[in-house]
Amino acid sequence: MAEADRGVFGLVGAAMLMMPTSVVVAAEYLTIDAAQRAIFPSADSFEPFVLALTGEQKSAIVGLAGPQPPHGSLRVWKAVHAGVPLGYVLLDEVIGRSDLITYAIGIGSDGALTPVEVLAYRESHGAEIRNAAWRRQFADRRDLSELEFRIDIKNISGATLSSEHVTQGVRWLLALWETVLREPSHRS
Amino acid sequence: MQRSTIRISSLLHAAVAIAVGAFAAPPAAAATQQELEAQLAALASEVSTLRSELARVSQEQQATNARAAVPVQVLGQTTDSATVAEAESGLDFFGYGQIDYSRPKDEPSDTTETVSRFVVGMTNEFDEKTRMVSELEVENTVSSADDPGEVEVEQLYIERTFDDRLFGKVGLFLIPSGLLNENHEPTRFYGVFRNRVETAIIPTTWREGGMLMQGTTEFGLRWDAGLTTGFDLSKWDPTSPEGKESPLGSIHQELALAKASDMSGIFALNYTGIPGVRLGASIFSGDAAQGQPGFDDNVVTLWEAHGTWTPGKFEFAALYANGHISNTSKVNLTFIGNPTLIPESFYGWYGQAAYDLFDWDGNSVRPFVRFERLNTASNYSDLSPGLTPENGPDQDIITGGFSFLFAQGVVLKADYQHFHGIGGSDLINFGMGYQF
Repeated sequence: MAEADRGVFGLVGAAMLMMPTSVVVAAEYLTIDAAQRAIFPSADSFEPFVLALTGEQKSAIVGLAGPQPPHGSLRVWKAVHAGVPLGYVLLDEVIGRSDLITYAIGIGSDGALTPVEVLAYRESHGAEIRNAAWRRQFADRRDLSELEFRIDIKNISGATLSSEHVTQGVRWLLALWETVLREPSHRS
Repeated sequence: MQRSTIRISSLLHAAVAIAVGAFAAPPAAAATQQELEAQLAALASEVSTLRSELARVSQEQQATNARAAVPVQVLGQTTDSATVAEAESGLDFFGYGQIDYSRPKDEPSDTTETVSRFVVGMTNEFDEKTRMVSELEVENTVSSADDPGEVEVEQLYIERTFDDRLFGKVGLFLIPSGLLNENHEPTRFYGVFRNRVETAIIPTTWREGGMLMQGTTEFGLRWDAGLTTGFDLSKWDPTSPEGKESPLGSIHQELALAKASDMSGIFALNYTGIPGVRLGASIFSGDAAQGQPGFDDNVVTLWEAHGTWTPGKFEFAALYANGHISNTSKVNLTFIGNPTLIPESFYGWYGQAAYDLFDWDGNSVRPFVRFERLNTASNYSDLSPGLTPENGPDQDIITGGFSFLFAQGVVLKADYQHFHGIGGSDLINFGMGYQF
């Protein structure tokens, strides 16, 4: 083996040795229960919520949200504390590059978004979507005009499709909330 | 749902059995009124319990139905049923393509138009943690002995998810070098053609065979480390200008019966912890002698650093890349008299700015400008006096144009390119591309 090769193997070996410590710490998948608790820590129950949309409501939601990537399944829970509703937890799936990203977000009774929680990311390309700083960009936004991709929610270079599709998905969820879930007394 | 139905049915049967048992007793064995009242009270209690159980089971059933029905019911307008079916089967397809028209301003007879790339990709999930990823590419439309086209397997690897922040790849995969190599689809870069630095210095689309580990951290750091095949310096053709156009592009192997007696290492870091910012660097190094006669310890090293920043509607990108090939003198002495000797070093850098000028309903018009400087032979190792070639000239390329992105994955492009230092006519380019 040439001396240069030994240098290369040393480089790779050293790199691999330094990896596990930073990886193992954050290695757990996020379960639905954990995501619910992360989104509304003070809730004492999460009640499954059944949605049945009319054609008119579907059109209204799409009109508000704008272009959408393919979605997977959607689940909704009402977060409750001592009998008082805190808001909704919405779990959605959108296509990343070629596989579905499973993510969840909370919308408070006042319409404020929580950070996005990523429950499952299934491909290495675009895995940067899990960055805490990127996910926090959604927090406390209340209006679709505050969810413009690239402007309000920054692109992740190298994970453009994943970051754009999750942003579009969140826009759809907020439009759903505004159209169907929002309490009548809070409607503008 | 079936399980719940069975449970409800069993409970009803039990209720009926208790009722029948209570009222079917023969009169001869009739109990006293007190005993009958006690039995009725017990029966009422049983019925009450059964009602509660039925209500609970019914609630469970409703929740189960809701979970099953909501996805289709709610997202029917955005969910492609084929996509769902493919997701369930684990099989998925993707692709991209581009058609380019290029007209030299001063030599219109050299104008060309071609299907630069037509790529079909397929992924398959064997289980929740194991995927196959492949890409098959046709360049320049027709591939035969008399045509300029090529057919290439651009990627073919198995990816294993060890946990949600650690992935491993084995097979033929893209090297994580620069901004373009892993994100080379036409909707992802500005300009009809890929920038020259990430074509001539970093040989995009650059892929090698081997194994690669990739991890990400919560604070936004991604690392890649791998052991792969490398370059083959014995492929260098001193009679061809190809080595001057792209030193590494002329000796890459693309895992086509690649010589693999000498392996290379790749290590890359990328930080995206600040929204809108990406900073990264990579180094690839390995012996390109591959045990071939006349070649010894010819280590190829390519390192680069890059960054992007997207403040508001602006988008800035910059990259610097530097390559080095060791012990070239001995080989070059055998090439004396030929036009293209092996450079010892080569480099390039660029800066690019783009602006999201119009944006409506997911459509976008983005003008951009880019300045590139590169030198594919910035230095030669010393040969005997009078034999060492002169260093190559710096080449400057200024490109300005726009991209019109629409329909979630289609782009139309136009640009103008001015060259300085290497001669050649300015180019007027138009292109169409897509990605899905």
